[in-house]
Amino acid sequence: MPLRTLLASLALVLAGGAALGAATDGFRAFTTETARRIAVRDHPVAVPAVALQSQSGARLRFADFRGQWLLVDFIYTRCPTVCLALGGDFAQLQRLLAGPIATGRVRLLSISFDPAHDSPAQLAAYQQRFGDLGQGWLAARPLSADALLQLKRTFGITVIPDPYGGYTHNTAIHVVDPRGRLVEILDSGDAQRAAEDLRRRLGS
Amino acid sequence: MSRARRACSIGAAALLLLGLRMPPVKGALEATMTAQMLLLMPLLFVAGALLRAALPARIVPRSAAWDYRGITGLVLASVASVFWLLPRLLDSAVSQPAVDAARYVSIPLLIGLPFSVSWPRASFIVRGVFLLECVATLFRMGWLYLIWPHRLCNNYLLDDQQRLGQYLVLIGLAACIAIAAKLLWGRFDALAEAPPRASAQH
Amino acid sequence: MSALHPDNETLTRGEGLVLNLYVISALAVVVVMMLFGLIMRMAQGTWINVPPDIFYQLMTAHGAGMVGTVGLASSAVMWFFLRKYVRLHVAMFAANYVLFMLGALAILAAVFIGGYAGGWTFLYPLPVHSMGVWSVNSAALFMVGYLLIGVGFLVFYLDAMLAIIRSYGNLGRGLGLQWLFGGDLDKTHPPAVVASSMVVIVNSLGILGGAIVLVMCLINAYVPSLALNALLVKNLIYFFGHVFINASIYMAVIAVYELLPRFSGRLWTVSRPFLWAWALTTVMVLIVYPHHLLMDYVMPHWMLVMGQIISYTSGLPVFVVTAYGALANVYRSGIRWSVPAQLAMLSMFGWAAGIVPAIIDGTISVNQVMHNTQWVPGHFHFYLLLGVLPMVLALMFHLIDARRPAGGAVLRLGLPLYLLGGLIFVGAFLAAGHVSAPRRYAAHLPQWVPYDQVGSIGAILVIVAVLLFATYIIVGLLGAPGNATAHAAR
Repeated sequence: MPLRTLLASLALVLAGGAALGAATDGFRAFTTETARRIAVRDHPVAVPAVALQSQSGARLRFADFRGQWLLVDFIYTRCPTVCLALGGDFAQLQRLLAGPIATGRVRLLSISFDPAHDSPAQLAAYQQRFGDLGQGWLAARPLSADALLQLKRTFGITVIPDPYGGYTHNTAIHVVDPRGRLVEILDSGDAQRAAEDLRRRLGS
Repeated sequence: MSRARRACSIGAAALLLLGLRMPPVKGALEATMTAQMLLLMPLLFVAGALLRAALPARIVPRSAAWDYRGITGLVLASVASVFWLLPRLLDSAVSQPAVDAARYVSIPLLIGLPFSVSWPRASFIVRGVFLLECVATLFRMGWLYLIWPHRLCNNYLLDDQQRLGQYLVLIGLAACIAIAAKLLWGRFDALAEAPPRASAQH
Repeated sequence: MSALHPDNETLTRGEGLVLNLYVISALAVVVVMMLFGLIMRMAQGTWINVPPDIFYQLMTAHGAGMVGTVGLASSAVMWFFLRKYVRLHVAMFAANYVLFMLGALAILAAVFIGGYAGGWTFLYPLPVHSMGVWSVNSAALFMVGYLLIGVGFLVFYLDAMLAIIRSYGNLGRGLGLQWLFGGDLDKTHPPAVVASSMVVIVNSLGILGGAIVLVMCLINAYVPSLALNALLVKNLIYFFGHVFINASIYMAVIAVYELLPRFSGRLWTVSRPFLWAWALTTVMVLIVYPHHLLMDYVMPHWMLVMGQIISYTSGLPVFVVTAYGALANVYRSGIRWSVPAQLAMLSMFGWAAGIVPAIIDGTISVNQVMHNTQWVPGHFHFYLLLGVLPMVLALMFHLIDARRPAGGAVLRLGLPLYLLGGLIFVGAFLAAGHVSAPRRYAAHLPQWVPYDQVGSIGAILVIVAVLLFATYIIVGLLGAPGNATAHAAR
């Protein structure tokens, strides 16, 4: 009886370990945030062709950016915390990548997940606060609830209301390749590294 | 076990599971990380434990051959529990229907049920090792949640995560004190079978 | 008499085999670890040249090996005597041995193959900041070794708990708490049960602390971005380590309670002060550990004050009742001074004298100028070498006493040699500590070299004596036919 128990327990532990490995991408991802980074790196996903409205009021589609590298973040303009850091990152990226932006090979895109509040004027004001140079950085809002949902699902953005009337959301810099596929998710807060990463991709 | 009690247990388990599926209840228990870990999951565990009565009468004695001193069942429960300690699964259980379903099935059937079958079989030593590991895990998880600098779950707030950490540490402390008090001053009628060996030799 | 010290100490074949494994392994490891210690002292004394990485590997192995082995050997003392009063399962005693050996294997591999040299205390964050000297995997392997050893001890303690509860109702009654404030004191309540009850309580909690902190350090090793609070980790490590090494004294002292009476012919009975002493020590051993952190000025002030006060009082109650009891037990008893009896009395001296440097170091104002790499080892080597090890050896000589009464020329030489070498060895540590600088610097000051050389000579004497003992004991255990099957006390 002890022998059978030992065998059964060992089998359970081994099976459990294997299942755990499968559930964590080989013990690499214990959180959703890490998991989505690994997932897009292993299997790039096509970005949905939804309609957006930019800070100048113009209509955009993701397809418009084909042939360009695109860095995307998700924000809401009233955000008192992480979006400030993200805005700073993007303003810095705008300067660090000024060369490729000038030749039209790179675009920066901030997407609001609070379209009801973030009108084109709000979006423009948000960019102004960080010293937007006026070239290569677009801020936009999705034009329908369905578009927003598709974007959140594809990029893996979770937005939850916080107790102060704002939102808590996960932040990152998302890299979309010239074929319109999300290929990489980078940590926010390190524009230097993101710029290097993109330069490497441009070089190759 | 009488048929009436059996029916009662099964009914209670079914009611509990159905109740936990009801959108307002489910929504409330998933609204915070604290509620999900300290209320929803324990209640699913209880539902599984109640389901023991639903097992065909012959299965429990038969499983004993593979469950020496309850070890296999407790190993199964422990292994399955590890999954529901992962922030990633906690997170996707809220946003992905498949993971949500897996949770409602696996916690009752792979944790609650095997625990309720094996715990009565477990010897003092097996229970001791299991309990010490449980208490240590409460402290470890609590400590992790308290010091993790970021949100572990995209669906939950940081202060929620830290409050959960505090509660886990407090529960661990309470469990520690309760177990120590029981060992020091408690009654162990079920164990007291042998008279002191020395006096037996008089 | 028979109720307190049942004459029948018969071992079944299986029990004898497991006990022999404990005794022989413990002796072998102690000798090897002593040799490691000698190499370190000789290197400090500039007699031999040992590169720093090897030195710290030896230090790590010596620390972990000695603490573990003293624990293992002391648990053999507890098992041997406790089993006369309650029903212990030899399988659990054997499980402890197997898990201990697996853990020891992991530790040795981590140190000598993986190069781990972060000290037996694995103080965070040293194990994961090796500057390339060892890999994270070897630090992790070292900690996994500790976890295995912890599980082994836990299983043994749980078996003892179960047995005590079965015989006495609960651990409180095993400790004799019901007689603290009155009641009809049962004089036949065995001291071995009181001591064992205390040990299973405190060391289970110690192991819990270790299980928590070891796993957290393992997580940190593989997720370095998760920074732990170094002070909290240090607190838990010292809680775990302090309780563990203290528990070994309280397990080993059972040998004194059990062995002296059979040579003096007088019972060692429990008394109310005796029970009070053990009850108080149960609590104090758990809260005294902050005296290891007196130099950590960021510690909460009250904890340091508590550490100082409790370090004055924690060891004392049990020591006083034990030493007084020992003296009262042998005074004018016409005791037969067999080797176990001599060792038991030697351990009383070692314990008593070892308390003095401990209390001196436990005083904050002294600690700040004298807590250094000489005084501290001096203090704990005093306890362990002249206090605990003699208790353990007393049991081992008792095991072979019936067949091969110890007392030949070898032993007449061995005991004085051991005492002399031990005193020189710890004296050199303490004297160097007294003249030395505070704090723990990795640099070894030239002023210490003469002391190191004297210490090395002491260590050589001790090793010669222990080799004599070990040979004598192992030959005694293995030599006589049927040694594992039957054995009477007298």
